[in-house]
Parts: sequence; structure tokens; C-alpha cells
Amino acid sequence: MNGDTLIEVRDLHKYYGKHEVLRGIDTQICQGEVVAIIGPSGCGKSTFLRSLNLLEPPTKGQVIFEGNDITAPGTDVDKIRQKIGMVFQQFNLFANMNIRDNITLAPVKLGIMTKEQAEKRALELLERVGLPDKAEAYPAMLSGGQKQRIAIARALAMNPDVMLFDEPTSALDPEMVGEVLGIMKELARDGMTMVVVTHEMGFAREVASRVMFINEGLIQEENTPQEFFEHPKNARLQEFLSKVL
Amino acid sequence: MQAFIEDFRLNFIEDGRYKYILQGLGNTLIISLLAVLVGIAIGFLVAIIRSNHDKTGHMKVANALCKIYLTVVRGTPTMIQLLIIYYVIFATVNVPKIVVAFVAFGLNSGAYVAEIVRSGIMAVDQGQFEAGRSLGLNYKQTMRYIVMPQAFKNVLPALGNEFIVLLKETSISGYIGLTDLTHGGDIIRGITYSPLLPLLAVAIIYLILVMGLSYCMGRLERRLRTNER
Ligand SMILES: Nc1ncnc2c1ncn2[C@@H]1O[C@H](COP(=O)(O)OP(=O)(O)OP(=O)(O)O)[C@@H](O)[C@H]1O
Ligand SMILES: [Mg+2]
Repeated sequence: MNGDTLIEVRDLHKYYGKHEVLRGIDTQICQGEVVAIIGPSGCGKSTFLRSLNLLEPPTKGQVIFEGNDITAPGTDVDKIRQKIGMVFQQFNLFANMNIRDNITLAPVKLGIMTKEQAEKRALELLERVGLPDKAEAYPAMLSGGQKQRIAIARALAMNPDVMLFDEPTSALDPEMVGEVLGIMKELARDGMTMVVVTHEMGFAREVASRVMFINEGLIQEENTPQEFFEHPKNARLQEFLSKVL
Repeated sequence: MQAFIEDFRLNFIEDGRYKYILQGLGNTLIISLLAVLVGIAIGFLVAIIRSNHDKTGHMKVANALCKIYLTVVRGTPTMIQLLIIYYVIFATVNVPKIVVAFVAFGLNSGAYVAEIVRSGIMAVDQGQFEAGRSLGLNYKQTMRYIVMPQAFKNVLPALGNEFIVLLKETSISGYIGLTDLTHGGDIIRGITYSPLLPLLAVAIIYLILVMGLSYCMGRLERRLRTNER
């Protein structure tokens, strides 16, 4: 399953003022991997995820994406981000446009597809996330689960090499969690490389190829789901799992 | 009734005095319209520079200049600004008064428009901006296609209000000897020594203009809103 290294993170540090949120993260994410990140609130999971596409520029350290150090000065960050899809907890669908435009905006404005191509692709993607009849709808008319499925479709429209998810189901009513996780499972099955910050332990156990425990700005444990959940070694992780499982 | 008709004839019909009002109305409309355009241009420019500075830390010098402009314009009376622009800045060049007026009111309004638009930009959820950037859109594209359309809709009521204030504020144009609507009415009063009808007529015309403007803004707002709910 694991192919070449897609993202390599070296000694990543992030400060907000004097507060050191990430305190030296080293890891690699390989082609086709599904990495689940878990950890207590405020430990730096989002900050870590968001530094992978430089939405939060790291204070120190390197992020190497497909062989290029994207933290090096002079990097065309916008170009890199085209290849890194991101899905947010709060969906962040563009409120001023309908679903079709949400999906086609970036590919068209960035000159990757013509309008016709992008619209055709949008319909395929809507089909794929089970919302083929929502092209004309506006975000405000959709449920949370539907919004998040559209958000996934929007990210996929750029044909990214990796997808980042920051607690994609945390803002959803319980009955809508399943539909979103279902789509993420399908994505994983199709071989998409994914990094998922989540509180859904079931998803981590079932779908992830590796689970990562971040605590106090460090990766304190990472392992296959089996080992991770059955034989946690780190004391903080044991404590954390005892609370959430 | 007889007295009213006589008064009306005296103030508006005799010697074609209604023309003062018409001419004044024309000037008021021209000044207001051009000043709104100048104000929007300056206001959006300043708002974009200021929020770019807030979001990215770039454009420090431009931001500082904008802040000086905002402080000065919002900290001094419009009347003084008009007089300074007329008697000091345009003193030696021969420009029509109407140009002086719309430049002065436009510069003035720009400062208020700028702060309105900036607050509208800040009110757009940061997540919208981040979503745009995460797809690979650059700062400018994200602002143009995602943030600004939402900001504009947010601030439409406040902008409408600002235009109404501006329209009424042009009534001090008389101080540089320009015959705007107010001054037109006042000229008639000075000739006829009968203040009621000319001033009432002027007030009613302003009221109609403002109500018309409110109506148009309301329709525009509703049209922008129907899309989303
Ligand atoms: N823009 C910011 N400015 C200052 N501090 C921040 C900022 N963003 C995050 N922090 C702080 O950094 C720490 C880590 O935040 P982060 O959002 O990465 O945590 P998290 O693990 O994702 O938590 P959660 O489970 O609540 O989402 C927190 O203490 C937070 O208060
Ligand atoms: Mg988080």
C-alpha cells in the first residue's frame, strides 16, 4: 500500500508569540497512506495539519512535498496548494455562490480546466458524493452533512495528490457523521493519500493505515491501528484512549 | 387659499424663479452622483489596502498614508474641508466650482466608505478566505471572487446610508458660491422675503430623493439576498 514519500516533515516548530505549539515534528506521509491524527484538544493537531499546506507557515523546520522543500523562500505556495486538498471542520463553502460554482471556481480561475470541463467534472463529483441534484443549490440551503460532502467534492475537483481533513465530522449532527465518513472511506479505498485529524476512533481503527498521537506539540506515538489501539505504549496515550474509547 | 396661490406665484412662477430650484437640483444631483463614484473608488481602494495590510502585513507605507487620510477626513468638519479645497488647494487653478464640490465631497465620502467596506471585509468569515487559499487561489483571486462579493453584500445597507448622508451634506455647497438645491431655494427666499414655500419645496425635494434612494438600495439588497436562502 505504501508507495513513495509524498510529504516529509522535518523538525517542524510553530510559535504563536512565545507559545510553542509544535515542538519539533518529524514524520513522513507516503503515497496511498491514510494517516489518522488524534490527540487532546489544543495539542496542535490543526496547527500541524495546516502547516502541511502552509496555511500556517512554520516558524522553523521543513515541509517537503513531492521532493520540493515548500518552506523554502520563493516557493510558489499557490501552485503547491493546488495539489493539496483541504476539508475544514466548518465546511467553508463559498456562501456567495451555488454548489456548481463552488466546485468549478478554482479549476476554472486557475486555468486548469475550461468552464465546460469543470462543470462536467462537478457533476461527476456531485454524483460521487451522492448529491447530483444540488448543483444549483446555495450552501445555506444544505444540511451540515451535505455541505461537508460538497466541500470534499470541491477539493477533489482540483485532482489533488493528497487530502487533508481537519475534524471533518466534528461540526455535524450525529446522524450525518456516517454519510461523510462513508465518502472518506471510499476515497481511501480508491487510493487517495489522506491525513485526517479526527475524534472518530472507529474510523481511525478501520480505515487508517497509521494512527498518530499528537500531544503537547509532539508526535508521542504512531503505529498501525491494530498496535496503536491494542497496545499503546505511551502513558499519555493510554490515558487518552481510556477516556475516549 | 388665495394667499397660498399668490405666494406660490410669487416664489416660483414670477420671473421664472422655479429655475433656481431646477438648476440647484441639477447641480445637487451631479455633485452627489460624481462624489459617490469618487467616494466608492477611493473607499474600496483604501479598504483593500488596509485589509491587505491587516491580513498579510504588506503595504505598510500605503496603509500609513490611508490612516492619515482617514484620520484627517473623519476628524474635521466637511464644511472646512470644502472651504480648504476651494480657497487653498484649488485657489490658483481655474476649475469649475462643481468640480471642486464633487472632488471635496468624494474625498470626504471615501473615508467613510473605506471604513464601511473594511468592516464588511472583516465580517466575512476567515474560513471563506482560507478555503479559497487552500484550493490554490492567490490572495487577489480569493478577495475578488469570494471575500469582496460577500463583503459588499454585508455593507450594502451601510453604504446606502452613507450615500444618503452624502446627498444631504452637499447642501453646504452654497458656501463656495455654487447654486445647489439648498442655495437655489435660498436665493428665491432672498428675493421674495417669503421663506416658507421655497424652503419647504427644497425640503420636499430632498425627501423625495432620499426616499427614492432608500427604495433602490432596498431592492438591490433584496435581489442580492434572494439567491441565498
Ligand atoms: N492563530 C493563533 N494564534 C494564537 N494561538 C493559536 C492560534 N491558533 C492556535 N493557537 C493555539 O495553539 C494551540 C494549538 O491549537 P490547534 O488548533 O492546533 O489545536 P488542536 O489540537 O487542533 O485542538 P482542537 O482539538 O481544539 O481543534 C492552542 O493552544 C491554540 O490556542
Ligand atoms: Mg483543531
